[in-house]
Amino acid sequence: MTVTPDLAAAVTPSTDRPVAPVRIGALGGDGALVLSGPAASAGSEELRGHRSRWGELPPYDGVRIRALLRDSRLDGRGGAGFPLGRKVETARLTPGRPVLIVNASESEPESRKDRVLCRHRPHLVLDGAALLARSLGVDEVVLHAHRSARSPIGALSLAVVERVRAGEPDPTWRLSEGPDRYVAGESSAVASFVDHGEGRPRFATRPLAVVGPSGRPTVVANVETLTQLSVAARIGAVAWNALGAPSSPGPRLVTLAGAVPHPGQVLELTGPGTIGDLLAAGGMTNPPAAVLVGGFAGTWVRGDEAWQTPFTRESLHCVGASPGCGLLGVLPHDACPLGETARIVRYLAGESAGQCGSCVAGLPRLADGLEALAAGTARRRSVGKLSALADAVLGSGACAHPDGVVRLVRSTLGVFGDDVVRHLAGGPCRGSDHPPVLAVPDPRTSPATDGAAWR
Amino acid sequence: MAVTVTVRIDPTRCRGHAICALFFADGVELDQWGFGRVVVDSVDSARSVRKVRRAAAACPNGAFLVSERATPEPRPVGAG
Repeated sequence: MTVTPDLAAAVTPSTDRPVAPVRIGALGGDGALVLSGPAASAGSEELRGHRSRWGELPPYDGVRIRALLRDSRLDGRGGAGFPLGRKVETARLTPGRPVLIVNASESEPESRKDRVLCRHRPHLVLDGAALLARSLGVDEVVLHAHRSARSPIGALSLAVVERVRAGEPDPTWRLSEGPDRYVAGESSAVASFVDHGEGRPRFATRPLAVVGPSGRPTVVANVETLTQLSVAARIGAVAWNALGAPSSPGPRLVTLAGAVPHPGQVLELTGPGTIGDLLAAGGMTNPPAAVLVGGFAGTWVRGDEAWQTPFTRESLHCVGASPGCGLLGVLPHDACPLGETARIVRYLAGESAGQCGSCVAGLPRLADGLEALAAGTARRRSVGKLSALADAVLGSGACAHPDGVVRLVRSTLGVFGDDVVRHLAGGPCRGSDHPPVLAVPDPRTSPATDGAAWR
Repeated sequence: MAVTVTVRIDPTRCRGHAICALFFADGVELDQWGFGRVVVDSVDSARSVRKVRRAAAACPNGAFLVSERATPEPRPVGAG
């Protein structure tokens, strides 16, 4: 069999694709594309300014937008990284009018990027939502966020009013605010809240894009994903794709947290920049002890290793991590990694929706185990028990909440093996006096099993 | 016509009564709290199909879910 030149080109390793030079920019700063425009102090960019910088919403029809989704390979930016184009294609293959929900929940306590977009570039978000509505052939879009002081729904609703007054050819916007709980931001929980007012994750044998809680195909898309869609629509699928790395299409937003000069800073990365590049752009000069990559339900990576690792899906995969929601939590050398992790695990245990037995029973035991390790009261065999417990919890839930906690616990035992041994031998470390590094909310003492807590 | 049965446990409904593991012992494992986990998620032998149907009927919470679909008969060799 002979291989035609075209086919040979198609199977050439992706590393031969053009890769954009590394650029990192903050809101309104140099080196930013998605975050370009007015500085943070200017507040929300109004429709007129937005249109003068980006032009009118491109008049693409559904076919063209679906081609854009396919060619850009736009991946979801809420955490799971699922390609948006696949959700849209699935929903379109299923009979029934699709439900489209913009997920502005941003449940991750230390993540800021989605709120920054809603507050400062709301029209980029809404343009993306309008394009996605067109690709699905729907005329209504639900904008959903958590009911909290940090909710970006006010900023979005002001932008909606502006667009309605300007007579934009938009779908009908519907605002929705659900319970302010960690797992209430999970896509099936959001879809459930929008359908029947109870925002808990849902057990399903088929994906939401096939059948959501309403019985109709349901597409839930993250705020950054939609923002990227509207940028890709302006600059073209191929050009947008090339602003990332071969395994990670497009530019990517990251939130810095923990022991950094400006916790909560949101940066935009173009090209295959490393975590070190991002932390240096955030004002750090040396690798920290470790970096929590991807969110609370993410993965610890040793600082010197993280510093050299490109923030791309492929490279992060090699160190056991994934971009997740784009959070980089920095652990300084003088803090106790086990104590930090124990606080996160205790918080996540309290955020269980209280539906699945192993999550309700297992997560508090994982938190107990880590707290005992951090306090130096654990025995040698308790590490094996903790591992076994993690194995038992993995994959046991209707949603991925327990799996995320297991991922964090396993990476802790792997990356901080030396610390574990020291704590087993000599009790708590010097870092136990260190003030908390990551801003972990106070844990709930027991998960809210009552449905009323989720309305 | 033969059937193929797909088996799942809805973890949001499972309360750990473990009755499914009595009827379908070779296909369900119990974790340390007694919650079931499906390890054989598709059966087609008449014996196994009987077992999973009983397990589904016996679960007090309706957490043991089976979905049945007809398996096309293999065409006789040499036919057509």
